[in-house]
Amino acid sequence: MLNIICEVSKYLIIIFMVLYTVKCFSILGSKDDKDKRKQLNKQIVYVFVIHFLCYLTMYLREGSLKLLIFYGVQIFVAVLYMVLFHSIYKESSRLLTNNTAFLLLIGYTMLTRLDFNLAIKQFIFATAALTITAFIPYIMSRWRNLRNMGVFYGIAGIVLLLTVFIPGLGYENYGSRNWIRIGSLSLQPMEFVKILFVFFVACMLVKANTFMDIMANAVISAIFMLVLVLEKDLGAAVIFYITYVCMVYLATSRPIFLIGGIGLGVGAVVMAATLFKDTLFYHVMVRVEAWKDPFKFIDTGGYQVSQSLFAIGTGGYMGTGLYMGKADYIPVSESDFIFSAICEEMGVVFGLCLILMMLSVYISFANIAMKVRQPFYKYAAFGYSILFIIQTLLNLGGVTKFIPSTGVTLPLVSYGVSSVTSTLVIFAIIQGVYVIHNKEVIKHEKEKERIRKEQAAINARAGVYGQGKGASPQQ
Amino acid sequence: MAKEKERAHNNKLKNKPILVITYTMVFVFVAMIGYVIYFMEFKSETVIANSRNIRQDNFAEDVEKGDIITSDGVVIATSNTDEEGNTTRSYPYANTFAHVTGYDKYGKSGIELEGNFYMLRSHINIFEKVIKGLSEEKNRGDNVITTVDYDLQTAAYNAMGYCEGAVIAIEPSSGKIKVMLSKPDYNPGEIDYLWSYLQTEEGASSTILLNRATQGLYAPGSTFKVLTLLEYIREYPNNYENYSYDCYASEIFSGVDIHCNDDTSHYTESLKDSLAYSCNVSFANVGTYLDYAKFRTSMDGLLFNSELPYDGETNMSSFDIDANSRPDELPQTVIGQGNTQITPLHNAMIMSAIANGGVLMEPYLIERVENDDGGNVKKFKSKSYGELMTSDEAEILTDYMKAVCDYGTAASYFSGSSYDVAGKTGTAEYDNEGNCNSWFVGFSNPDNPDLVVCVVVEDYNTFGVSGTWVAKQIFDAYYSK
Repeated sequence: MLNIICEVSKYLIIIFMVLYTVKCFSILGSKDDKDKRKQLNKQIVYVFVIHFLCYLTMYLREGSLKLLIFYGVQIFVAVLYMVLFHSIYKESSRLLTNNTAFLLLIGYTMLTRLDFNLAIKQFIFATAALTITAFIPYIMSRWRNLRNMGVFYGIAGIVLLLTVFIPGLGYENYGSRNWIRIGSLSLQPMEFVKILFVFFVACMLVKANTFMDIMANAVISAIFMLVLVLEKDLGAAVIFYITYVCMVYLATSRPIFLIGGIGLGVGAVVMAATLFKDTLFYHVMVRVEAWKDPFKFIDTGGYQVSQSLFAIGTGGYMGTGLYMGKADYIPVSESDFIFSAICEEMGVVFGLCLILMMLSVYISFANIAMKVRQPFYKYAAFGYSILFIIQTLLNLGGVTKFIPSTGVTLPLVSYGVSSVTSTLVIFAIIQGVYVIHNKEVIKHEKEKERIRKEQAAINARAGVYGQGKGASPQQ
Repeated sequence: MAKEKERAHNNKLKNKPILVITYTMVFVFVAMIGYVIYFMEFKSETVIANSRNIRQDNFAEDVEKGDIITSDGVVIATSNTDEEGNTTRSYPYANTFAHVTGYDKYGKSGIELEGNFYMLRSHINIFEKVIKGLSEEKNRGDNVITTVDYDLQTAAYNAMGYCEGAVIAIEPSSGKIKVMLSKPDYNPGEIDYLWSYLQTEEGASSTILLNRATQGLYAPGSTFKVLTLLEYIREYPNNYENYSYDCYASEIFSGVDIHCNDDTSHYTESLKDSLAYSCNVSFANVGTYLDYAKFRTSMDGLLFNSELPYDGETNMSSFDIDANSRPDELPQTVIGQGNTQITPLHNAMIMSAIANGGVLMEPYLIERVENDDGGNVKKFKSKSYGELMTSDEAEILTDYMKAVCDYGTAASYFSGSSYDVAGKTGTAEYDNEGNCNSWFVGFSNPDNPDLVVCVVVEDYNTFGVSGTWVAKQIFDAYYSK
């Protein structure tokens, strides 16, 4: 009986995941507000069903009461977040709140399976971050000075990045010196610096009028990346670089900046890989070798990727079911390799849906960036969407052997205090941009309405009819 | 209002980079999804079969191990699950396929080991899987189809009778192993009894579990003359045909007394005749012309002293002549005595390369994997290992070995057969009292070789069963099919 419930749940979870993912895209394409609201509500129902079935399965397999309590607290917070956030910010994107909540819930679920204590820790920090970041859209719409603080972002960012070199505070982990420890809390300053970095680049690009301005901007941005390379955090350096190139491309609208940027990046990597093959880039070379044939280096550099592929392959399209696989055998399955753990136990189909869902989050980000007119917000929103999607790509591509693994987390799903907090900040900033934009649109609509009325009144007074459309033709 | 329109248009222009990047991202992500599906469809089976994948151990909980079936469709190992869900393995033909299937307990061996992963996977259709999953019944595992042929294996099994030794037959054009027999053998279904016997003092020295076909190391005896001949042709490509020798039953080379079988004198003979009559003295004479270092290089090129390209467990054949060897080591070595040792599998592989124009096809035992409904799951393709010798060399050796079966030492066995054979007999002494093993290695239909057979029968003196006779029984079975 127990087995039957768990097996049925496994398939139901996959079915509802597919339905949820389909909704992600159909909502993006939907124009009708009423229809949109209906679909968004359905999405919430799917989230509940999936989350409930996951915890039901885990409870049946494990039989521990603390799972049920944890489940209750999670769903309470999720509901509160989805309902409250939208009632406070009527202009916010509900699709984004749904996705935020769901990604967090998927993360909690898998973490509960892998390590209950980590799940609790992740839940506490994420909930705190959700609460604090809820103020971000409010602050943004009140405080319009954000765009004038470019110098501050730049200096603060570089200083913060350098903290990892302070002896006693910073330390090395997995071959990269990119961690600091405060008390019992380990943080990656880079996760927060990336937020400052995008603001910095956006400010500079808004002000840049000449080629020289762009060059000055480039030099300071290069310092960021240089520090990251010195920390041997190549994954982050790649994320920063691509974000920078894309933002410059957006600001200038010149393809040459995109093509040149990519060319320069590839050239720099090739040069560095030949010059510093045995020093700074040694662990990069190891990873590239391991990517080419992970099974050949299964005892050294290829261990993680081999285990990840074993998990994904053995789990198959439908997965083994929660607790029925060996997801806890995957190295760092709670953070970098959480996607492999999800694929093994919840199925590759679920995993593919997760990939699509991540893509839909990016598209909704890019959509917001396209709607916004004010350059600063436009650049910033686009910068954050690039940050998000490149990080997701590096993570998912790395664990599936699509590209060499770089050791970055999967946003909101992976365990990581700094990672989940900074991602929630980014999501809140995007919401903020959207709220500001929508408020402006509403203001604009009202303005238009007022002008139209005035015009009509003037026309009526002058006794001229049929020219209600307004604008006088002037060539 | 025109201003507003213009602004909207400007915004659209400004948005072009976002669109470009977004389309790129969509493309990259779709490519990644495609890659994951490609991995699942074409790569994952090979990847997860890796012995380092700890998840394999769990498969038996949900899957009833599949059957092992011969290439002609006979089930030689199957599973039965009783009402309480206990699965037992049974072997309908008891000892006949013992070393092909191997046993399924105590660490496993043979196909039970090599094909374990495949047989513990189930590719039955998804509906059946779901239903079985719900009713908590085990899924039926996939079946492994071996390359071994039921009729040929049975013929070999009957021909060997009570003798000890090994038989291996390979299809030279593909590397498919058609017969793999090792005696003494056992019933894999009764491995429990056997295992407890092996724990006793008496059983401890038993080699019953050893697969002599792949792991037994034997002196190659006269079958090695083919390789000596190859080396001579390589060193004297232009005038080997002019070789001539007068054999008077025995002669001393570097202080070593070499004499022909039964002290027969062969008188004046060509190189071809020397091989056909298996003349020891003439070959010891050939040995005096050989360069030690080149000889070593040639033999290493024929896979002596190295791991064979075969997935199952094998032992390494050895050949120890090198540039520093003393002249008195050579006369015994060139006629296949001395320190040279070879596994029947290796001997068959060299012969299979000769039969296949010099190119060795890697031998393999698992032809394909099918689900319980007969649908294809995985096909194993023949792999070429590469050239062991040139096609000219292979052609000359074939021509010479034809003589062995036409008028030489094997002629009496094959005269009157419906097929032609090229091959080499061998009698290898393994002690100083004249006890010897009887070899035959060769292939049928030399113009377009069908089957390579390699037989070694131990204690020829006691049982009187010769390797050549056993080989003939297998060829007969092959051509009466």
